[in-house]
Amino acid sequence: MPEIMIPRPPLSELEGKAQWLALLLLAIGLHLFEAALPSLGPWFKPGLANLVTLLVLVMMGPRAAIALAIGRVLIGSFFIGTLFTPTFVISMAGGLAAAVMMIVAWRYIPGISLIGISLLGALAHMLAQFVTVESLFIQQSALYYALPPLLLLSCITGWINGALARYISARLTHEI
Amino acid sequence: MLMLLKGSRADRLLLLAALVAITASWFVIQSQISAGPAVAEIYHGQVLLATYPLPQKGEAEQGFQIEGELGATEVVLDQDGVRIVSSPCTTQHCVHSGAHRHAGDIIACVPNRILISIRGQSASEFDAIVE
Repeated sequence: MPEIMIPRPPLSELEGKAQWLALLLLAIGLHLFEAALPSLGPWFKPGLANLVTLLVLVMMGPRAAIALAIGRVLIGSFFIGTLFTPTFVISMAGGLAAAVMMIVAWRYIPGISLIGISLLGALAHMLAQFVTVESLFIQQSALYYALPPLLLLSCITGWINGALARYISARLTHEI
Repeated sequence: MLMLLKGSRADRLLLLAALVAITASWFVIQSQISAGPAVAEIYHGQVLLATYPLPQKGEAEQGFQIEGELGATEVVLDQDGVRIVSSPCTTQHCVHSGAHRHAGDIIACVPNRILISIRGQSASEFDAIVE
């Protein structure tokens, strides 16, 4: 009886996938870490998981970044136990909005560095959370009263995460 | 180390634009909602359920229940402002967020679709300065 052998994909093909997967696992880990942090309220997290989205965007392109954002929220909420709850919907909207915003900024804004991209991503994330809650759960514009101070905090974390992302990517490409 | 935090020219322009827009909207919002005495507005989804004045110094605290999507949310109004003391939701973010009394503060319980928003000038703000 002939044995069935499936041809194995060449290593070069697996390499990119393995890198993406490693970064996905890192993003999931950071997602869980941030969920466990004593936070400044449910609206605010440092956004370290979005930092990985940004790294994937500049290392592997827009498709990989979007896939990572979706995969991270989906699998992350498996572990936290929030799958398909409002928390999950809000995380997903925020993560996707940040990814899309960062892709647009990366592609179309001349002279922008990872810091500016991360800044815009953080702002988009915060705005998307509020728009999602306002349109799906609590249809009151009074929600937006709380937005400006949170957006100011987003500016700070977005900037710092961008600087971290730039440092990490420089180390990865042996520039420093 | 600080060199790491230095953005490009485009980055700094974006930051400046964001800061100006955020600060301007903050002023506009504050000027619209800080007039009049301090009240807590309580919403469920699209509906304004009630508006309560925040208790002044020496006034008794009051507690009541609001029916939300999942069940009853218990709210207490006292000298410290308004807070949610118990909620049927699993996250309990609304309970942990504590007491609020400044115009523009909100307490939101998304799973139960409850929102408490504070408008108006709080008379007890002087205490906060003395503290």
